[in-house]
Amino acid sequence: MNRIQRLLQRSAKAPLYRRKFAGIKPRALRDLRSFSATIPPTRLEELAAETVASAGPMSPRLCAGRGPRAIFQLEYDTKPAHYVALDRADLRGYGQVLKHCWSLVGLRKGDRVAIFDYGTSPLSYLAASSFTPYLEHGAADLMGCLPVCNDGVANMSPRAVEILRYVRPRVLFIRHDCLHALAVEVERQALRLADYTQALVAAENESLLSDEERRGFEKRLGVPIYRLLRIDAAMFLAMECPRCRLLHCRRDAYFVETLAEEDDAAENPLVVTNWFAGTSPTVRYLSQVRGSLEPSGCPRGPKDLRIAV
Amino acid sequence: MKTGARRVAPDAMDRWPEERLAKFQRQKIHRLLRHVYARLPFYRQRLQRTKVHPDKVKTLSDFAQIPTFCKQDVLQEIRRQGRFDFGLEAIARKEPAVLCMTSGTLGSSFLYLPRKWRALRGDSLLRAYWWAGLRPGMRMLMAAPAWHSLSVQESRVIERLGVSTVVPWGTFLPRNAGNFIDTISDAKPDFVSIFLPMLYAILAECRRRGVNSAEVFRSVKSILAVGAPMTPRSREQLVRELGVGDIFEGLGNPEGLTAMECASHCGHHIFVDCCFVEIIDPKSGAPLPAGQRGNVVITTLIPHGSIFLRYDTEDLGVILPGACACGRSWPRMEVYDRRANEVEIAGQRIVPYDVRVCLDELPELVNLPFAVVRGETKMKRLTLLMQKPASGNLEEIRVRIANLLRKQLNVEATQEWAEELPQRWKGVTVIEEKDWRGERV
Repeated sequence: MNRIQRLLQRSAKAPLYRRKFAGIKPRALRDLRSFSATIPPTRLEELAAETVASAGPMSPRLCAGRGPRAIFQLEYDTKPAHYVALDRADLRGYGQVLKHCWSLVGLRKGDRVAIFDYGTSPLSYLAASSFTPYLEHGAADLMGCLPVCNDGVANMSPRAVEILRYVRPRVLFIRHDCLHALAVEVERQALRLADYTQALVAAENESLLSDEERRGFEKRLGVPIYRLLRIDAAMFLAMECPRCRLLHCRRDAYFVETLAEEDDAAENPLVVTNWFAGTSPTVRYLSQVRGSLEPSGCPRGPKDLRIAV
Repeated sequence: MKTGARRVAPDAMDRWPEERLAKFQRQKIHRLLRHVYARLPFYRQRLQRTKVHPDKVKTLSDFAQIPTFCKQDVLQEIRRQGRFDFGLEAIARKEPAVLCMTSGTLGSSFLYLPRKWRALRGDSLLRAYWWAGLRPGMRMLMAAPAWHSLSVQESRVIERLGVSTVVPWGTFLPRNAGNFIDTISDAKPDFVSIFLPMLYAILAECRRRGVNSAEVFRSVKSILAVGAPMTPRSREQLVRELGVGDIFEGLGNPEGLTAMECASHCGHHIFVDCCFVEIIDPKSGAPLPAGQRGNVVITTLIPHGSIFLRYDTEDLGVILPGACACGRSWPRMEVYDRRANEVEIAGQRIVPYDVRVCLDELPELVNLPFAVVRGETKMKRLTLLMQKPASGNLEEIRVRIANLLRKQLNVEATQEWAEELPQRWKGVTVIEEKDWRGERV
């Protein structure tokens, strides 16, 4: 059985996919081409509608028989709310993905890493096993880094500056909507940020900082800003590579496609299939992010999938 | 008891005889003293300055000769050295660790927390959750403030007990109350661990949405609340309003204090396996006997990570005299407020908790937000700013409050009503008069 067949077999235990993929024979799907051609994408709205229709309290893609260890409400402004459920193996896979992002941005053993985001963001809860029950190794544990978090609220910027001053993290991961407040605070304290950190990584769920915004903040803050794409419903993380400036993600963790909506469009919505999520399978999740796929081959991650957004 | 539950159930240490507990703590303190003297420059310098050698500390009276230090000293040292690790942290480079932060009412400091710290503190804290009714196989709602040391301990408790966990999006802010309501309604946890002011925000959001809070909390058997003191009447009302089995209050601070209520709800048992608590006179520094209010001074007994030895938390507290009805021997304490929130009125020193206890005598005022207005000079009368109750004759209530405060606290009071307290004052129990008047202009 290949991984497509294994994924579909697993998914059949979730109410949404059982209904949606009824009639599809997993054994007939031998490669990614036939997988893409046969399996319909799933939208966020569909997940919400299915939750309402099934009157189920939690996620309609929660697999029966797998007792989830941790359930996280997701950052979507929808009714009903969305959740992902994770067991130890899911957390292990997700933690490895964050580790990959950290490696790509140049973090190494012994580095300090600051995270200015909510504790409920995967950037925070996957950072260390100490933060999350049943996470055996977070990115920091895997890499030998020391993480420190600050709550992802803009008015906690003074505390973020204290972290920068006294912890001197090599990289500060920051919520996109805290960037402005941090910049104001850095300016107010006349801090030369480059003396305290080497880079910022701005992250957001199903969206990315625009190039123009990035340039503006880089000018104000005096350090490079890289972008990290979160697609939380798909348990997806992709890090912008400092070398090729494209988003990298692990080929063994995800299958990423674009869904052609219009002929000749340069960018189309990204569709994500997650290979490691067993408790809340993600099969061709249609995201709100538009991009295009680029060939692999960047020296920083020769085998990585690369996405231009 | 099922086998799994038996495996993780807390041991009988909380029922050890007093002498055995005292001996245990003395040994831990001696070991800690030797450890910090040998390894941590911050303490070695302090002890050498005051000519105290660990070998000469034989009794708790000797220990009380070691000078205390407070948050300001910590902040000063961080600023002076320009680094988070200024010499009170036992750093093990090879062991995974995280940095957490203190909440920062006075300024933020850092806590270096290695895996061993998490294991020991978490296993100790498990006892509190057990007392509150959390059992293997249950589902627990936890918030995940990764910057706070409680989340590090709580994640260990969850793993050890084998409970599943559900986490609402966001943080402890009123604007996230809706997320907590959705998560509780959808995931139906058996147990909720929460910051008390957030519980009030959830109730307010339930009222705004027109939903019955008891319906939202239908699955919840018990709640463990931290972050603010709760009066007995507040608890009773919350239990009624939420329809839960019980609410347990936890006391603690990131520097190492853990004290938790048992089902008797008569103070908080100090977790003597990981912290030693003294109450001292804030002026003389002398230890105070049980029953007398003073500054809470803590010593962490775990020789890993950031170590706090005779750290003055600047909280106002008391060790409660007598034994607890539950039969546990761990001493009990109460913490009322930050010392900075104490006000002096006609020679009487009171904290907002004292006022809250009086106000809660009136059913229409239970849990209703209020603030003590502090003047710049010594006050002859207590000035209260109160949110108007939903029902009742205001003049009548005013007179009843004045009588209660006169009788119970021996102070004269003036009250002013507000339709609703501004967001920035909700939960802030002392406001400066100049800020309040300024706000009204």
